[in-house]
Amino acid sequence: MEFFGEPMAMRYLLWLLQGFGMTIALSAAVIVASTALGIAVSGLQLSGYRPLRALLDGYISVIRNTPLLVQLFFWYFGVTSLLPSGLVAWLNTQHVLDLHLFSLRWPAFETLAGFFGLTLYAAAFIAEEVRAGINGVKSTQRAAAMALGMTDFLVFRLVVLPQALRIAWLPVVGQYLGTIKNTSITMAIGLAELSYASRQVETETFLTFQAFGVATVLYILLVALTEAAGHAVARSTPFASAARSR
Amino acid sequence: MLKYGLVALATLLTIGTASADKLDDIKKAGVLRVAAFDSNPPFGFVDPKTRQITGLDDDYAQALADKLGVKLELRPTNPANRIPLLTSDKVDLVLANFTITEERAKQLDFSIPYFSSGQQFLAKKGTLSSREQLNGLRIGADKGTTNEIVLRRDYPNAVIVAFDDTPFAFTALRNGNVQAITQDGPKLVGLLANVPDKENYEIPAFTISDDYIGVGIPKGEKRLVDFVNETLVELEASGRAAKIYDAWFGPNSKAPLPRLFKIGDKS
Repeated sequence: MEFFGEPMAMRYLLWLLQGFGMTIALSAAVIVASTALGIAVSGLQLSGYRPLRALLDGYISVIRNTPLLVQLFFWYFGVTSLLPSGLVAWLNTQHVLDLHLFSLRWPAFETLAGFFGLTLYAAAFIAEEVRAGINGVKSTQRAAAMALGMTDFLVFRLVVLPQALRIAWLPVVGQYLGTIKNTSITMAIGLAELSYASRQVETETFLTFQAFGVATVLYILLVALTEAAGHAVARSTPFASAARSR
Repeated sequence: MLKYGLVALATLLTIGTASADKLDDIKKAGVLRVAAFDSNPPFGFVDPKTRQITGLDDDYAQALADKLGVKLELRPTNPANRIPLLTSDKVDLVLANFTITEERAKQLDFSIPYFSSGQQFLAKKGTLSSREQLNGLRIGADKGTTNEIVLRRDYPNAVIVAFDDTPFAFTALRNGNVQAITQDGPKLVGLLANVPDKENYEIPAFTISDDYIGVGIPKGEKRLVDFVNETLVELEASGRAAKIYDAWFGPNSKAPLPRLFKIGDKS
């Protein structure tokens, strides 16, 4: 490939692909974790226990009202300065868990902090989307379920949540797309994802257009595929028929 | 009228031929004109008390003037100005933390190096003592610097974490997220000078790449180059070079940095 000049081409392309792999893995992990956390938060917000609700409202408003970059600095630079140095050293050492068939590598501390920060951030937005979905479920549905003698939890789990998720699904997909793009900010705390790799290639080769061009194309690819998958799910039979039956 | 004109022309011609050797010109003029930094401590800066330019480079300039037996005249310069001042004959020498590069050597001559600033490391005391250890460490670097490139090229097994600037890298070191950070030695010294618990940190006495600092000399002045080189070698032999170094980077100075380079180590 002539794109990066002859001799080193493969090496730089490999860097970008490694970074891309990191972006995919981090995005996927954050999407899964933040969806679970977001649903849990919106569910718990329905509970009648006031202090818990105040706490969750506080979490959502703090996260939504501060820049993601500042939050990442806080988790990476701020919190570690409070942890005991032995724990920080342990978190920063490579731990390999040997599971016979394959071995699990402990992620770098930058990855942990990035995952944690992005998950808390995305979950706050997803919780709001799910809450909007819950509010969109007709109150008669809840009343009918209660009349059948279901507990509060079962009403939420079996009647309200499935309908709420259908209503909230496309906005939640929008959060997923945001999450993928937001992973690029983690380069500020030294996480070696795609943006970090493109900057590294640029520094070494001075091929500015090529380095950032390849990264841009890869981001577009990932975001477009995720969006298409999200819409496919929304059109899929159980989703669509349930939406129609409402 | 014509006669006076001819005399004047003849005089000019004599001056013209005489200036073919700058060393003699300097001796004849009784003044050595040197371009030096006025805002790059400790290499060259204005002393707030005396209002005079002072610094490591200026100590060397003074030593050269002393050897010639002439007065020293310092002229403030900046990185962009150094070569034009020399090529337009506004100064005789440049001593302004002038890194020797092939590109620059096309336009002027350099003396042998009298100072070297290398890529060094800052770590918590006791964690790092030799370059062999680098391959197993997590090391913070500034994004987009040659430091990062050199480290990645020569120590492929070191884990490099790149940050936006040196203070971020230092915070990561302080928190224990990286075990060392890398930058040019004098910059690390400057960083450490402002750290409240500086006794917990050290700059191990080794470098992994070096920038050599030399005296800039007009192109083709062979005798002047030889004079500067001989003087520098003498300054090392007499111990004065070490004294000049210690005045600015010695253990009791504001910016202590071990002296790893001696004049003559590299020609």
